[in-house]
Amino acid sequence: MKALEDENLTNQNDERLQVKAAQQDTARFAELYENNFERVYAYIARRVGNREEAQDLTADVFHQALVNLPRFEWRGLPFVAWLLGIAANLLSDRWHQVARLREVVTEDLEQVGMEDDIEQRAVLYQLVETLPDDQRRVIIRRFAAQKSLREIATELGRSEGAIKQLQLRALQNLRERIRSNHG
Amino acid sequence: MASTSMADQLEDAIEMMIAEPDSAPPKVDLKISELLGIAAELRLLPDPEFRAELKAELLGQNHAVPVAANVDIRRQTREQGQARWDLKLDEILPTLFGAGDRNYPVHRGNFAISAAIHAALIAVVATAGIWMTRRTQLTPHTTSILLTDISAYALPPSIDKSGGGGGGGDKDKLPESKGSLPRFAREQVTPPTIVVRNEQPRLPAEPTVVGPPALTVPPTSQIGNPLSAILQPPSNGTGFGGGLGSGSGGGIGSGEGPGFGPGHGGGTGGGAYRVGGGVSAPRPIYDPDPEYSEEARHAKYQGTVLLWVVVGPDGGPRDIRVQRSLGMGLDEKAIEAVRKWKFEPSMKDGHPVAVQVNIEVSFRLY
Repeated sequence: MKALEDENLTNQNDERLQVKAAQQDTARFAELYENNFERVYAYIARRVGNREEAQDLTADVFHQALVNLPRFEWRGLPFVAWLLGIAANLLSDRWHQVARLREVVTEDLEQVGMEDDIEQRAVLYQLVETLPDDQRRVIIRRFAAQKSLREIATELGRSEGAIKQLQLRALQNLRERIRSNHG
Repeated sequence: MASTSMADQLEDAIEMMIAEPDSAPPKVDLKISELLGIAAELRLLPDPEFRAELKAELLGQNHAVPVAANVDIRRQTREQGQARWDLKLDEILPTLFGAGDRNYPVHRGNFAISAAIHAALIAVVATAGIWMTRRTQLTPHTTSILLTDISAYALPPSIDKSGGGGGGGDKDKLPESKGSLPRFAREQVTPPTIVVRNEQPRLPAEPTVVGPPALTVPPTSQIGNPLSAILQPPSNGTGFGGGLGSGSGGGIGSGEGPGFGPGHGGGTGGGAYRVGGGVSAPRPIYDPDPEYSEEARHAKYQGTVLLWVVVGPDGGPRDIRVQRSLGMGLDEKAIEAVRKWKFEPSMKDGHPVAVQVNIEVSFRLY
């Protein structure tokens, strides 16, 4: 869990090097994407409350980030703060356009980047990837794909009861890992 | 068994949570409640396939289009479903397709009415020039000009007498006899006569008719009307006032006045007086403008009609003829208008006389 924590809270120096590398070779943007995807997604998902819209906006954020990366200047803030700034602008635009979002996105970017709730969600999404394969498949199908236990059982060739047990164990596993993560 | 029961409870609670995401969380055991909280957080778990596709998309495009147009990328992302199409409409016309702007809801009906009013106002402003031009075209401007000098005072006597005529007679039973004309003179002292009623006048004078003195006729032995077919017996004609013929006024012929032939007031050639030579011009005292004919107005037809008019001693126009036609109903309109005119008649020797004038009526569209 400590390794995961280390991975999530990327050392600023390392991150600075990653950004420099990505500015020189955009193929290196993949590392920044991998390190920050969950945070950006969690930040947006918390505000729009809809998976499809959250995914669209997340895609927009990373596309904009990639295009504007050459102009990025390191100012001591984590790279994710810059990404969340882009996300905040997109959310603000979308708020003006659609007027469906009730929440005013005016938080200070630095605070937003450190927001616990966002971080917890991002960590949770990352922890799902660390689950054993059979548990991870059940969680992804159940929550990301919104499939019923029967559908999952059919897909995985298991009984509904077995899927139910896998779901329970996966959630228990996640609870334990969150606790460990919090130390 | 406890694990089975717990798994069932958890699944039931998750099922309810997914089916009704906005409802309050179901009441469950504390252990399950904790797991249900994690499950609630997982409701928006990103699709791993989306995560992988986005990564591939970013890494796939960054080499080909390092500074790619952001709009294109976003469009590609947004065109993946109907919800995204709706979003584009919202972006284009947020006040019309969106639910509202900030805290101020916008009603589409009001928006549409406002847009229609603005469009109408813009159309009115844009076409104002055309409207004004058309209105001007629909208002014809007509002018009528009496081409003859219409000065109120009598012109000085003219040497030339053009037109006119004269006639006379002494109420004889026979028409006047054939003969040659006497000399033309500016003034007449003694009218011509065949049958002399006064053998010994107190002041003998040469008989003349009023007309151009340069107009000479071959003298013969007997004065008379050269147009008469009667040679004998001699007669002064059936007219009156002296002279020869069936007219009056001391001339020769059927006219009025001291000239020769049909016509008025002296001279020869027939017809009415023309202005000049002691004949004052008629002065219009009531001259309404003519109307434009509908046909000419639609065709935007313009021009001038020239009328020949005799203004009688009573000041009324008569014998109106078109000398220069314009067509499209404008000739008739010009005649119709001039027929209503009233004049102060021409005067000669203190008496109103008929006179012929030309009147030019102009039809213009501005």
